[in-house]
Amino acid sequence: MTLWFIRGLRRGVVTTRYPGRPDGSARYLPTPPAFRPQALTRQAADEVAAICPSGALHRDGSVLVYDVGACTSCGRCAAQAPDAVTASGEFELATTDRSALIKKIPIRGEAP
Amino acid sequence: MTAVEPRAVPGEVTTFQVASPDLESVVRDLRHLRLADMFASGKDDTVLRLVWANDTAGQAGYVITETPVASGTYPALSDIAPAAFVEECEIYEQFGIQPASGKPLNRIMLPPHADLPTLGRPPKPEPEEVRAQHTVGGSAFEFPFGPVRQVGVESLYYGLVTSGEEVVDLYLFTWHKHRGLEWRLQGKTPRQALFHAERTEGLSAVAVGWAFAAAAEAATGTRPPDEAERTRAVALELERLYNHAAAMAALCQSTGLSVGQSAAEIALERMLRLNAQAFGHRYLFGVIDVGGVTRAPEVGVVRRELPDAYGEFKRAADALLGTNSFVDRLEATGIVTTSQARALGLVGPVARATGLATDARQVPSGPGGPYASQQGRIDIPRPTAGDVLARFNVMLAEAAESVRLIGDFLEAGPGAAAAKLPETAGSGLGWAESPRGEALAWVALDTDGRITRARLRPASARNWRGFDDACRSQNVFTDIPIIEASFWLTAAGMAR
Amino acid sequence: MAEDARTVERAAELRADIARQFGRSLHIRTLDTGSCAVCEQEIRLLTAPHYDLHRLGFFFTPAPRHADLLLVTGPMIRAFAVAARKTYDAMPGPKVVVATGACALGGVYPADPFTYGTVDAVLPVDVWIPGCPPSPLALLHGLGVAVGRLAEKVRDLPFTAADYPERSRGDS
Repeated sequence: MTLWFIRGLRRGVVTTRYPGRPDGSARYLPTPPAFRPQALTRQAADEVAAICPSGALHRDGSVLVYDVGACTSCGRCAAQAPDAVTASGEFELATTDRSALIKKIPIRGEAP
Repeated sequence: MTAVEPRAVPGEVTTFQVASPDLESVVRDLRHLRLADMFASGKDDTVLRLVWANDTAGQAGYVITETPVASGTYPALSDIAPAAFVEECEIYEQFGIQPASGKPLNRIMLPPHADLPTLGRPPKPEPEEVRAQHTVGGSAFEFPFGPVRQVGVESLYYGLVTSGEEVVDLYLFTWHKHRGLEWRLQGKTPRQALFHAERTEGLSAVAVGWAFAAAAEAATGTRPPDEAERTRAVALELERLYNHAAAMAALCQSTGLSVGQSAAEIALERMLRLNAQAFGHRYLFGVIDVGGVTRAPEVGVVRRELPDAYGEFKRAADALLGTNSFVDRLEATGIVTTSQARALGLVGPVARATGLATDARQVPSGPGGPYASQQGRIDIPRPTAGDVLARFNVMLAEAAESVRLIGDFLEAGPGAAAAKLPETAGSGLGWAESPRGEALAWVALDTDGRITRARLRPASARNWRGFDDACRSQNVFTDIPIIEASFWLTAAGMAR
Repeated sequence: MAEDARTVERAAELRADIARQFGRSLHIRTLDTGSCAVCEQEIRLLTAPHYDLHRLGFFFTPAPRHADLLLVTGPMIRAFAVAARKTYDAMPGPKVVVATGACALGGVYPADPFTYGTVDAVLPVDVWIPGCPPSPLALLHGLGVAVGRLAEKVRDLPFTAADYPERSRGDS
């Protein structure tokens, strides 16, 4: 057991400082998409809604409804419409309000 | 006898038609092979399929026998090949057809009396709970445990039969996790279905995803580009590495060695971060695509990080093997004998630790497949002890081989590419060696390219049936978590 | 019953006391309602050296009786709902339910004969953590949010007669 103790000391501290300080490893995590309304055409909205495997996206009239909660950050929408969709880089998404996770993105050129 | 006698062709999947009256004698003839899977398809014209694997090095291949079952019964195969029993139960609850002997069958996926959708014609409702005999009698009593268990483990219900300390019998119920995946996949295109196939058993997302994608590719006669296959192989070996690190951490936890657990978890976390940097996901979800892959690994990142991450793993493993209190706990615990492993058709490290040579990587997915040039070079020891220590040693050796294989595949050049699948009817078998053993998938498509029947068989669906034998072998309660960690299976893969 | 100033004061002290206690340590019970095993792996890693949940005063407990927080993964299999309900009922109040991962939030499975599709169909969910799977960092953030929610619940705890209007009506 003494040996294990010494081994541990030699290994040093690896523990993250998060949540007190940001953690560098977060930047490699898959993150949900961010939509750019100025590039989001109706065609792009319909395409990403059709390709989403988890049903997190659907078009409701002139807005694209995006449910962050249902999203698996698979990146298929970003691959489908790279102009309109990018990775958001956010991982601190927990909330007490489910409806806060549902976002409405206006489609370009259509009155909201 | 049938006109053509079924036999395995090395490196290939050969399919044979067997008439129902001949099935019994064909199964007797094929008993030298491993019964890898058995499943049915078709609502009205039910067809029974048996998948056999030849594990002999240099001759490895698969045989599928197809038998139309019109009468609602088929010969009792589990009397000849015990590996068939769990599938007999499964086929009964999904299709309502049963072995001719009419023996009692357990409920596997669907709880009794529940009105859930099935893949075929459901069986008649049972008047009372019918199940195969379990040993309860004398001073033994049944100790129910689960489905909600310890912290951070999956829901699983154990029926533990004990006379106090010793495990007399143990059986599992997994319907608490049955998500109806095979039912869910019907009517979808392979690409849509892949999303759920990966989530069948998240800890072998690459292996199950690859097996499923390969099945869809075989069904449509598509050949994925070689560089995409190498990307898949890199992901598969990375998956094996992190799983073996996780199994090592679980072994330390179950033996109460928390310092060792921390050391193993440091290695595990390093490997998961390597996955995230190289492939964009800690558990490699979304790497596999039908017809190829969605992305290529960051070769520089893998080359730079892998030696360090594996170094952590190796240091922890060496320290553990030098700790007598740990090794003593593993030795002669949870023994699976060679004959048990062969009879039950076990796969992966569990089977290899009993001296069997099962490895789905022995059957390369084609002449240009990543494992084609590795035949005879994958060096994994096959101890015969069959205990937890033997399984641990097999895992350590596999991890070392994985590092070498990743190096070779990176040298050969992985890439991101995907072939497009034509919309044609057909059926095909796919396989991949997951960290737990051989993962199989079989897919049948209609002329629109939509799935009519998808069979998913992760390694967990096989190896849980060896778990009760391992627990029964002169073990006490406190051995069960150790045995569970050394099997390193998931309830999700069993219940699907 | 008359409500004197002393009782109100004592109740405020008690609330502050409990809030302080929860601020120091909080016990977590995990519940898998049909996940693919990956969320479980991430939860196990919370106690690993890289994340070390214990430094923040969180502890895992195998007993629902000792738990303040229920960390639920998976899409809530219908066959499992009874067990989930029993686990929740066995926990003492105030308690929070944290739905963890895309399955639990309705992303992977729809409501159908096998699953409810979301956890909140069976349990009253207080905090939602998206992700497939949520990384340990996302889980740490989610647990921080859950502590805030629990503090709210503690603040609203009934202690004095004024908190029980129906009972005081019966007495008088």
